[in-house]
Amino acid sequence: MFPAPKATARRSRSDSDRTDIARLRVVDADSYTDWESVYRDNVARLYRLMYARVGNRPDAEDLTSEVFRTALGPLRLASSKGEVRSYLLVTAQTVLASHWRRTLGVSVTSIDPESDLDALTESSGPEDVGDAPQRAGKILAALPERYRRILELRFLEACSIKEAAHTMAISVNNAKVLQHRALRMAAKVGLELEL
Amino acid sequence: MTARRLTAFIDALVAGRRPDPYQADPDDVEVLRAAIALRAARPGDATPDDEFVAGLYESLAEESSPSVASNVRPLRMRRTRAAIIGVAASIALVGATVGTTEALSNGATTSSAIQAPHGKILRTASFETAQGHALGQIVVYGGTPGWVFMNVDVPTAASTVKCELRMMDGSVVAAGTVDLHHGTGVLSKKIRVDTSRLQGATLYGPSGSVVASATFS
Repeated sequence: MFPAPKATARRSRSDSDRTDIARLRVVDADSYTDWESVYRDNVARLYRLMYARVGNRPDAEDLTSEVFRTALGPLRLASSKGEVRSYLLVTAQTVLASHWRRTLGVSVTSIDPESDLDALTESSGPEDVGDAPQRAGKILAALPERYRRILELRFLEACSIKEAAHTMAISVNNAKVLQHRALRMAAKVGLELEL
Repeated sequence: MTARRLTAFIDALVAGRRPDPYQADPDDVEVLRAAIALRAARPGDATPDDEFVAGLYESLAEESSPSVASNVRPLRMRRTRAAIIGVAASIALVGATVGTTEALSNGATTSSAIQAPHGKILRTASFETAQGHALGQIVVYGGTPGWVFMNVDVPTAASTVKCELRMMDGSVVAAGTVDLHHGTGVLSKKIRVDTSRLQGATLYGPSGSVVASATFS
């Protein structure tokens, strides 16, 4: 399907150095040597990008898998790392668009191969959590206290609606209404801040 | 109807589950986008599971060439088995300690012996950093009630680390906070989850950064 790691053939020196030289390929320091290095260098960053776009682990894992399955086949290893990452991002853009079409019928989030390129570069470490906390922080900071609190409890502190209601000393029904209104306002804030 | 589906979608996001598909109203889009932005900021899930990374690697290698599959090694499979055995061997003692601790913390007026857990319902794993350094062990017992025990040795000045348990369906359950003394600490706690559905556990520092993770075998 795609260029697999090949077993190194054992040959004696008598096969002549000339043959070896003819088989050597110039490997640019800025290019990948095999699909494994493409995978290892990009899997965590690509997963993180997908996770930021779908907000849940199972979908992020499936979409990351789909990107690699789709992209590794036609991949040209002679391309530079930058070109390979751009290609992965273009594939990711298509895979994500197709995901939203399939699941909700509308595009909720997207990937822009140009503006999202930073997410796949070395400047973004594998353990880096990306800009998600900053984006969420900006939205939450613009909300009234009670709206902010219910969203913090639910989305950041993993509380159930019952636990959130208990913490805020309100009924479960009130917590549901509060969350609904808080999300509507958060959506408005996100739109205004162009997040 | 759409409002109910939207709520269900958001509830699934909050719980870390895969949301069910539905025909969304265009008015839902901004709300969904805000919910995803907030959920993506929760510490933990933004880093891929080692198991997922290794599994996809193996799967891609098999698809590329069946002959290569036998040479494929998971990216990270090191385990400090000796340490785990040590922890597991002390289970009976720990079980009694947990029983006593829980009884005291719950204000129970009677004490009862806790049955030592059997091998089949114990699950163990090592906490490892992203670089593969072992930082501790975790043992879960799938009884009624179930409980979790962990010991950690973290090279940090922080006084606590938080532990979350990851379920196979992607949801996350808070296990508790480990108080550290000179970087070391233990936690034993009763848990109300199906331990057979546990996938792993993650330790977070006070800033929310991942300190180490463990995957149950």
